[in-house]
Amino acid sequence: MGDFDIYSAFQRILKNDQISTPLAAIFALTELIENSDGIDLIPLHRSSPAHSHLAGTMFELVKALNDGAEALTKQASNPISLNAGCELFIAFVTLFPHDSANFTDLKKELIRQGQNYAAEALTYRKKIAELAFGFIKDGSVILTHSYSRVVMQTLLLAHKRKRISVFVTEARPRGLGIKTAEVLTAAGVPSTVILDSAVAYVMDKVDFVLVGSEAVVESGGLVNAVGSNQIAIIARAANKPFYALAESYKFHRLFPLSQYDLPSHNSKILSFPHPLPVDIPSTINSLTKQPLPESSTSSNNEPDPIPPRITQEQISENNPDVDYTRSVLLSTSTVRIYNTDVPNDN
Amino acid sequence: MPVPIIADPPPFAGGKPQGQPAQQAMTRAERRELQEKQRAAKAALKGQPPQPKESSQGKQSQGTVTTAGQAKAKTPSTPSKKAFAGDIQGSKASTSKDLSLGLVGEDMPPKQLSHGLRIFSHFGQPKPVGHTVKGDIHPAIIRLGLLYSDFKICGANARCIAMLTAFKQVIQDYTTPSHSTISRHLMTHLSPQITHLVSARPMSVTMGNAIRELKLEISAIDIDVIEQDAKESLCLKIDNYIRDRIIIADEVIQELAGKKIKDGDVILTYAKSSVVEKVLLEAQEEGKKFSVIVIDSKPLLEGKILLRSLTSGPNPIPCTYALLPALPSLLTQVTMVLVGAHALFSNGAVYSRAGTAMIAMMAKTNSVPVVVCCETYKFSDGVMVDGFTRNELVPLSVTQKNSRSHDIVPALNLDNLNPLYDLTPPTYITAVVTEVGLIPPSSISSIPLALGKASL
Repeated sequence: MGDFDIYSAFQRILKNDQISTPLAAIFALTELIENSDGIDLIPLHRSSPAHSHLAGTMFELVKALNDGAEALTKQASNPISLNAGCELFIAFVTLFPHDSANFTDLKKELIRQGQNYAAEALTYRKKIAELAFGFIKDGSVILTHSYSRVVMQTLLLAHKRKRISVFVTEARPRGLGIKTAEVLTAAGVPSTVILDSAVAYVMDKVDFVLVGSEAVVESGGLVNAVGSNQIAIIARAANKPFYALAESYKFHRLFPLSQYDLPSHNSKILSFPHPLPVDIPSTINSLTKQPLPESSTSSNNEPDPIPPRITQEQISENNPDVDYTRSVLLSTSTVRIYNTDVPNDN
Repeated sequence: MPVPIIADPPPFAGGKPQGQPAQQAMTRAERRELQEKQRAAKAALKGQPPQPKESSQGKQSQGTVTTAGQAKAKTPSTPSKKAFAGDIQGSKASTSKDLSLGLVGEDMPPKQLSHGLRIFSHFGQPKPVGHTVKGDIHPAIIRLGLLYSDFKICGANARCIAMLTAFKQVIQDYTTPSHSTISRHLMTHLSPQITHLVSARPMSVTMGNAIRELKLEISAIDIDVIEQDAKESLCLKIDNYIRDRIIIADEVIQELAGKKIKDGDVILTYAKSSVVEKVLLEAQEEGKKFSVIVIDSKPLLEGKILLRSLTSGPNPIPCTYALLPALPSLLTQVTMVLVGAHALFSNGAVYSRAGTAMIAMMAKTNSVPVVVCCETYKFSDGVMVDGFTRNELVPLSVTQKNSRSHDIVPALNLDNLNPLYDLTPPTYITAVVTEVGLIPPSSISSIPLALGKASL
């Protein structure tokens, strides 16, 4: 690996806002192969001649890729979709027919294929938008959640030929729903931002729910920005269809049994803070009186403990980024694009 | 189980069964004799069973049958083996004295069932013929039949492994008749052995799958191969089957299911499954801090065995043992339900120990994930919609062995009904752990295709 830093490469690629996390991971791993010149030299320096030069270097290449994937996963905040991309690419490299004349050629071929795949994958959103077009009727009112590139593309395509209006959730804490509304409004689509807590209120006005996806897992369920699960539950309760759009590279070999079985779950999420080191009555006092003006609490002559303040950062720190929607809550037709060029591990 | 004595060797010893029709008549006579004996035994319920005479007869009959078999199929069977078989029969006879008292109910032919039980008669009443040996049965199979019918070997995996191991002996001791080839004749030699095993206990799905695979292998033997080589390659194939489909599969399942166990988890399991036991012990080995609730129920109380093995190791797992009625109060603290399976049907339904369906249903209503551990060789390509169409009854002998004295004794208007299995609908199952990964129950039918097989 040497001086090649896969994470900075990954971050650089991700700056392009058309490239999603799994694709960025594939690009980053391709760059890793490009920068892996040191790797295939190692067997030559070995004292014992490697009886199978290609196999030895292949092994090391795959090992380097696995290490790179691990380094990426460790540093990234949300490892799920990143993992999907890494696994897809490593499975592709392992299964790739080794019929090149030498290893350098093979590596070149791998790089070419990787880049081709990622480039082609960028067209998937267009295909999905065309497929999803049939689901959208003229005059539809659509509820979407947060910001998703594939949903945006679908909505914008639908807008060209059909009259649609869109409700979008605000999606706290990052407020990405506002971005969705801004882009849609700029394109001339009537859109309204609703509070995350107002989903049930708006549901009866909606024709169907359309969300993107972080990953589609083996159970057929969906991993997506937090809040998708409750929208799906409300949609089911109101008998509204709930559709998820997913590119094939988001299919992931993962089988979450519950929300807490996701790889993104850690002990920090939903943890309770340590209680303040004061006696209980005064804590309750300060908590209950917090909304009141400061002066009223200072009636105690004791030095007041700093009243607890809860910031947005603290809230988002204690909350999950993604949640898991069970497959039964999804309407049967999750729009999927299968690709046969690259071994799909699903 | 003690039936061999009451079931009647005498006709065998007396009339020389040689031709097919004669044998038929003999079995009819046998049956008549059996019923008479049962009636007599019932009348003299508290009477003293004529023990010594019968046990000697048992041995005698064993001898005759084997010789008759030898004469018919010219199977070389070593004297030591004969002695072995006789031994079993003998020991059987001697041990059965104490049990035969309470066991008369088992011998009731179906027509004597009370009205209430008649609708369950298709479950296969425990037959009294489990121990009579008809035809040329290998001693290893006779032994296995006894172990099956006594529930000494119990559980889908154990039964399948035991059967395949016994078949290996049968194959090694087999000689092809001069006019036939091994690929054509071996199966006709094996089918009476299978029939004997099935008469001891209905065939499990696992056994059926293994036998199908074995038949395929036998029919694929090249006729030019030397017999010994063919037999050895068959034994190797059997070993490979056991290794690949059961042993290694279990190891993969241990790893996959182990990943789902996290610190602080409370795992609930029901009765005893060999693979669940391994998963839990392995997770404990890895240093995970979790506790286990073992739910159990009558009549078999298999959970006790699991409880013992979980708590007896160097670092025992904290366990709670409870019977099925206590389930609702315990379920609130459970994070995952982990159960084994007897078979899996292609509609995703899990056929498992009676009571599993109830556990899964309650767990589902409490939104606790239900995970089933099941090797792919347990998959059946059939569809099953309820546990009534096919089931098995726990024989009275086994029930009574487990539940000491103060138990309901079947009387004239009272029968015991203990179905062995039930069916859990796929909707109650979160995931099935197989050696090919975790799969939702709805995708079961695609697994054989994914494994590149036309059928299992």
